[in-house]
Amino acid sequence: MSLTVRPITAAEHLAFIEKQPSVSFLQTPSWARVKTEWRSESIGWFDSTLGGALVGAALVLHRPVPKLERYTLAYLPEGPSIDWSGDLEPWLAPLATYLKKNRAFGIRIGPRVTTATWSAAQVKDGIADDTVQRLNQLTPTHRDATGARVVSQLRAAGWKPQSPEDGFGAGQPQYNFVIPLAHDDGTPKTEDEVLKGMNQLWRRNIKKSAKMGVEVSVATPSKPAGGEFDADLSAFHDLYVHTAERDHFTPRRRDYFKTMFAAMSAEDPDRIKLFIARHEGDVVAATIMVRVGQYAWYSYGASSTEKRDVRGSNALQWAMIQDALAAGATSYDLRGITPTLSADDSHVGLIQFKVGTGGEAVEYAGEWDLPLNKAIYTAFDLYMKRR
Amino acid sequence: MPLKLTVDTDRWRKHVQTFAEATPGLVPVAKGNGYGFTLRKLAHQTEWLTGLDAGVDTLAVGTYNEVWEVATRFSGSIYVLTPWRPYSPEINPEIADRVIHTISRPEDLPLLLERQPNARVILELVTSMRRHGMTPSALWPTATIAREHAQFEGITMHFGLDGGSLAEVRAQMDAVVGAEAKTVWVSHLSANEMAQLRASYGDITFRARVGTGLWLGDRGALDVTATVEDVHPLERGYSYGYRGRTALRAGHLVVASGGTAHGIGLEAPLGDTHLRSRAVAVARGGLDAMGQARSPYTLDGKTLWFAEPPHMQESMLMLPSGARVPEVGEELEVRVRYTATSFDEIVLES
Repeated sequence: MSLTVRPITAAEHLAFIEKQPSVSFLQTPSWARVKTEWRSESIGWFDSTLGGALVGAALVLHRPVPKLERYTLAYLPEGPSIDWSGDLEPWLAPLATYLKKNRAFGIRIGPRVTTATWSAAQVKDGIADDTVQRLNQLTPTHRDATGARVVSQLRAAGWKPQSPEDGFGAGQPQYNFVIPLAHDDGTPKTEDEVLKGMNQLWRRNIKKSAKMGVEVSVATPSKPAGGEFDADLSAFHDLYVHTAERDHFTPRRRDYFKTMFAAMSAEDPDRIKLFIARHEGDVVAATIMVRVGQYAWYSYGASSTEKRDVRGSNALQWAMIQDALAAGATSYDLRGITPTLSADDSHVGLIQFKVGTGGEAVEYAGEWDLPLNKAIYTAFDLYMKRR
Repeated sequence: MPLKLTVDTDRWRKHVQTFAEATPGLVPVAKGNGYGFTLRKLAHQTEWLTGLDAGVDTLAVGTYNEVWEVATRFSGSIYVLTPWRPYSPEINPEIADRVIHTISRPEDLPLLLERQPNARVILELVTSMRRHGMTPSALWPTATIAREHAQFEGITMHFGLDGGSLAEVRAQMDAVVGAEAKTVWVSHLSANEMAQLRASYGDITFRARVGTGLWLGDRGALDVTATVEDVHPLERGYSYGYRGRTALRAGHLVVASGGTAHGIGLEAPLGDTHLRSRAVAVARGGLDAMGQARSPYTLDGKTLWFAEPPHMQESMLMLPSGARVPEVGEELEVRVRYTATSFDEIVLES
């Protein structure tokens, strides 16, 4: 194996992705068009011992630093897509060489490698147990040797872990909650099997929403669910702004979602879908789902403060899971959870909601930085800590 | 008359048993001079522990030369702490399957397996101590070979006397998980650190190697004495000793058993880096140069001074005038470093 890194076109990049079981949606060429404020590029790893074949790829977001316009942090969110199972040096050395030549003062990667998983039952017991404060105080149901080797190698090679000890940091979450949609041997689960994995409350709420007449519609820019897609997106955004006010977070502008749908749908009409739950004409919940190959993500969610008893959110989650199952997805990702299991942690309600789906808590290798220019990297690190 | 270690056997055994029961996965260590007790005694004691059902099934020794001495007295597994090398001595075939080898270099494993196919091996991971051991990237392929061609008994790592920082241990655990090992052999980790590791890594067995805390944890059960062999009155100006020194004041010369052959008067470096203890060491060196040094012998609770440096099997002590003069045959208490002392006689009292 002898690897070199050089830029590739978006079309080459997409063709590579389509040959993989899945990569993160943050590593698709279309994500570059969502993140318009950053310069970006697709790069590829070519193996000269395999006749120069393209064997790995990444989307690089060049994140500028205030007052240092010439230099950027090269950010590969949930990437790169390379073979993480063996010796990493041949992969990461040419990446560093290439990015350093292109004026990056540092690299941030997020290997999409699992290090451990905990069952829903374990997480539930952990929350109930006063002596357990954090997920990693519990022995996982599965521990991944490949993931451990990745972490160990990165540390030895001078990469610095970025994942915060507790809670959500600025980057991508290290702990996610994921519902497996396939058995260990790869055979897909049935809807009934997925339902059986959920706790009683979830099953009851899903049933209840159907009984109370909640209707779920699915829209994409090419397949509006009746009316115009723009009208559905506005309905989502209104509810999302309402949710942001209630839950005290800063909402993104409507244009952000418009760009996101346009860019991602152009890449694949099934890449991103808008789900809306209505009850007697009222929008009670709305969500966005993204899928790349066999992997589906619950991405954004909004819910009304009124009519909570019709369980619109449960109805939408179930609709998205059914959609992912029908598309042949093997995993449904409910995105980040905090690794804190303390019952008085403010995020614990979110974990409990996700745990009810019966999936598993997944720990990834997390985000890692490699300083390429020590002085500038140190300045950047200080700036980020003081922000 | 000898330099003698008297053991309150009941009390000593009680401590050893209590320690073993409170330390899951305990691996007793018997190496060197057997912490003053001799290897054979510690091997017997470990056999006794095995019979108590405290989960003790393995005894660790320091070197290959120590294996046979314990093997005839202890029936379980014998774990050699010094890494195997191509020049290591052959193992008696009768006990070869009871011996667990430490492998600290990738190139040694195939050579050991050539000599002893399917040997029992523990792989050593290098730590911040950097004594022996492999880096993670050398460890993983070696672990694969161990799993396929040997009996892979786990990973060992050595931390300094202060234990590892838990952060370092966790970082090392990534290397362990990467090697798909099920057992980790460690020393010098606190009970709290062990408990935290066991909670996070319930899928991995931790085995604690302990020597000092196990065998010497209850000093009250141990009593070291030397015998007064001769006493001579000394006037000021008299000369005495091998080097013909002159007495500066009147008193008595006491000749007692215990000399350099026993480890008396030999200072092992304490490894203490605090400024104060260094200053003490310097001051002591100054006294040594003047021919005055505190001895480890005490009479009626008072420390005696060496009259001159210890001899091979005896020491000459200076007794100032006015002090009680001991009788020949009387016993003096001696403070020793057990790991550096060999006794003429070990008396087990019960």
